[in-house]
Amino acid sequence: MDPVRKVDFDSEACGSQAPKSKPCPRPKPGEAAGGCSFDGAQITLLPIMDAAHLVHGPIACAGNSWESRGTLSSGPSLSQYGFATDLNDSDIIFGGEKKLKESIDYIAGRFAPPAIFVYSTCVTALIGEDMDAVCKEAGDRLGIPVVPVNSPGFVGSKNLGNRLAGDALLQYVIGTGDPEPEIPLGVNLIGEYNIAGEMWDIEKLMNSAGISVTSRITGDARYKEITWAHHAKVNMVVCSRALLGLAREMEAKYGIPFFEGSFYGAKETTYSLRQMAYLMNDREMERRVDRLTEREESRLAQDLRPYRKMLKGKKAVLYTGGVKSWSVISALKELGVQVVGVGTNKSTEDDVRRIADRVGDDTEYIPEGGASRILKTVRERKADIMIAGGRNMYVAMKEQIPFIDINQERHKAYAGYEGLLRLAKELTYSLANPVWRLAASPAPWDKGVPYDR
Amino acid sequence: MTVNKRKKPASVNPIKIGQSLGAVLALQGCYRAMPLIHGSQGCSAFPKALLTRHFREPIAVQTSALQEMDVIFDANRNLEEALNIVLSKHRPDIIGIVGTELTDVAGVDYVTMLKSYKRERNLRGGLAFSVVLPDFRGSLESGFSATVEAMMDELIQQVGHRGSRTVNTRQITLLPGSFLTPADVMELKEMISAFGFEVIAVPDISTSLSGHLLTGFSPLTRGGVPLDSMLQSLQSGLTIAVGASMERPARRLHNALGTPYKVFSGAMGLKASDELLHFLHQISGEPVPLRYCWQRENLLDSMLDAHFQFAGMSAVAALEPDHLYSVSGWLEELGVEQKALISSFETPVVDGMEREVWVGDLDDAEVLGKGADLWISNSHGISGAARIGAAFMPAGFPVWNELGAYMSVSVGYRGAMEWSNKAGNLLMQREAGHRESSIRHR
Ligand code: SF4
Repeated sequence: MDPVRKVDFDSEACGSQAPKSKPCPRPKPGEAAGGCSFDGAQITLLPIMDAAHLVHGPIACAGNSWESRGTLSSGPSLSQYGFATDLNDSDIIFGGEKKLKESIDYIAGRFAPPAIFVYSTCVTALIGEDMDAVCKEAGDRLGIPVVPVNSPGFVGSKNLGNRLAGDALLQYVIGTGDPEPEIPLGVNLIGEYNIAGEMWDIEKLMNSAGISVTSRITGDARYKEITWAHHAKVNMVVCSRALLGLAREMEAKYGIPFFEGSFYGAKETTYSLRQMAYLMNDREMERRVDRLTEREESRLAQDLRPYRKMLKGKKAVLYTGGVKSWSVISALKELGVQVVGVGTNKSTEDDVRRIADRVGDDTEYIPEGGASRILKTVRERKADIMIAGGRNMYVAMKEQIPFIDINQERHKAYAGYEGLLRLAKELTYSLANPVWRLAASPAPWDKGVPYDR
Repeated sequence: MTVNKRKKPASVNPIKIGQSLGAVLALQGCYRAMPLIHGSQGCSAFPKALLTRHFREPIAVQTSALQEMDVIFDANRNLEEALNIVLSKHRPDIIGIVGTELTDVAGVDYVTMLKSYKRERNLRGGLAFSVVLPDFRGSLESGFSATVEAMMDELIQQVGHRGSRTVNTRQITLLPGSFLTPADVMELKEMISAFGFEVIAVPDISTSLSGHLLTGFSPLTRGGVPLDSMLQSLQSGLTIAVGASMERPARRLHNALGTPYKVFSGAMGLKASDELLHFLHQISGEPVPLRYCWQRENLLDSMLDAHFQFAGMSAVAALEPDHLYSVSGWLEELGVEQKALISSFETPVVDGMEREVWVGDLDDAEVLGKGADLWISNSHGISGAARIGAAFMPAGFPVWNELGAYMSVSVGYRGAMEWSNKAGNLLMQREAGHRESSIRHR
């Protein structure tokens, strides 16, 4: 049997900048954490809100994962539906392709989506389903794009799944459509998933500088806007190294320049907006950006003053799974919060270099996951707060450590100038909450003080 | 009566959950345990995230982290590696190896592998067992009960070598079903011990997932029934299973040790609670404690108060089989019309129900439940309920839109009262909402 993906492919999983000689480490049995490639592919594509997302496999992959992301929609909600072929044993023995075909037909007939994404999973990949052929046949017959996403869980990490989803977009979606004439061409935002509505804050900001978004890849996206992504003037890769390959490919194929940037922290935000205007090669726009960022920054500085006072000198341990580390560090630094420990679990050498640029020498790098390792750093460095993903949230609660959720499932938007203010407030509320004092003090009868009548 | 299935090829908004998640849940109720999922890492990451979201607690689980080539060449090498690490680093008392669809389709024989592993390493003192749980059968409920059964089996085999058994007639083994919350398990334990019995619950999520503040992090489960209590449970004079799905582990105990058992298909609502208390009263010879007599009156009184609210109302419920059975019985007592009952899969208990049951998903609930006033399902049902304009009542698994859902009680008189009040309040709020909008529209 042929492997679904060649093994050497995996060596680039952590972002294309990783040197070939240092492949992504294989997840260690008994110590592995984090999702599979199928999970990663879904993270990238589910924010295409009007499309249907069909998971081809037995029930667990879809049943355990649908509706687990905090990506928000401003309109259509079909992507929030959980669709699964839900294979049974005879499907697996005789092949699930017939059921897949019928499911695609059913979804197309009943929901009339602009496109259907079909995800392979470990079992359907293992039994060698020819998903590409089924999708192609169905797409031709139904007259809508049916996009196969070949990212079964067992090919690798979540990051690799992001990449494979990017490949599917390149291969099947981008370049297949043209924008309506009235749509101004500008920037594609790549790797921004509109978690907690962050995309909306970013877009508002860009619009006030006169920069328009051409395609959202994929936060709060509509399918058709991705088909015309190749018409954009600039690509911005928002804090997701896994999709760097997508930007690179678009540069080679369509001549669209790209840059990597972030919207966490005022400095990064200003840099990103400037970079957009610069790459658009529009002097007038650059001036507008300068005016806007100056105004926003000085207003933010005003608003932040009381929180900065509270946060100055506070210490945080940051564990985000790596990709976002450096940009969040910038945001925290601007608030006066010192990062004393940082996860480099999935970071590339390039990420680590950026982290190093932003933290002091005595910051501890946490190379491997595991809650106990993070807790140890919090203890040893006497950190005041832990900033990590939802998986570690209740670990922190048990140890009575203030916590901020920074990952996929969170409910607060931290991007842009507004976002930094929100982050400052969250940090302050969290640190100042009376519960820490209450939880740390024993019951009155355990204090050994007689009852005072 | 009848079990139907709507004809559509795909599952739309599934309520079914992988069986392996049920296994992970069962093991959370055992002290210093580690479920080890034999599959790719997503198969442990998803259940971990989902259970964490529901219980708002850290969840212990590990994976053999299979990658494509491992599956093709030697999946058990990964399992061995995982076992080595988990055993040497964390020293769990209980380790449960949970097979996935992937290992089953690939034909990985981890049952034999575990046996020889235990022989070679001379594993003593702890409990290591495996359970085969393909996804195409069952759901959370069956994964949970199959795991308890496999664990019981292993316990019995261990003790088998240790000679005769002394029966303790004042001790009862409680086998709580997967649909019971930590607070439910606690309530059941209290009810049984109120008649003078010692109770050992297997598993016992009431001491692990109910929100304790033990300090000192461990990747193993914190709380739950310890292994020595589990061993001691083999001496119980009686097994009480709550939920029909728990009959199999109860029967296993009976067949191996002769322990008699009693199955309560549910413990929700007046009749079911009456039955349980009457039974306990009879076998103990103790009078029913005063507080339950009080609670019974409280429940009846609140049902009288609420019956105005429930008159003419209809409900749709989409739940795991045992849970559905219980909830249907409770709705019956309230006089609420049951517009549609949807179960995640078929079991003898839903087969035997007097009402029509559909095996299906939340989309079926939406189609068949159109016009219902109350919608009862896990949190995935929120938008479906909104689309048909029903009041949404979260129940089952996962629930993430309500704080403290895992501490809500459904069993006993207290549980019935809590549920009736909650459902009545939701209906009242919905009515008020309607009135508001009709005023605004004029
Ligand atoms: S690892 Fe494979 S089987 Fe498991 S959830 Fe991911 S895709 Fe599904």
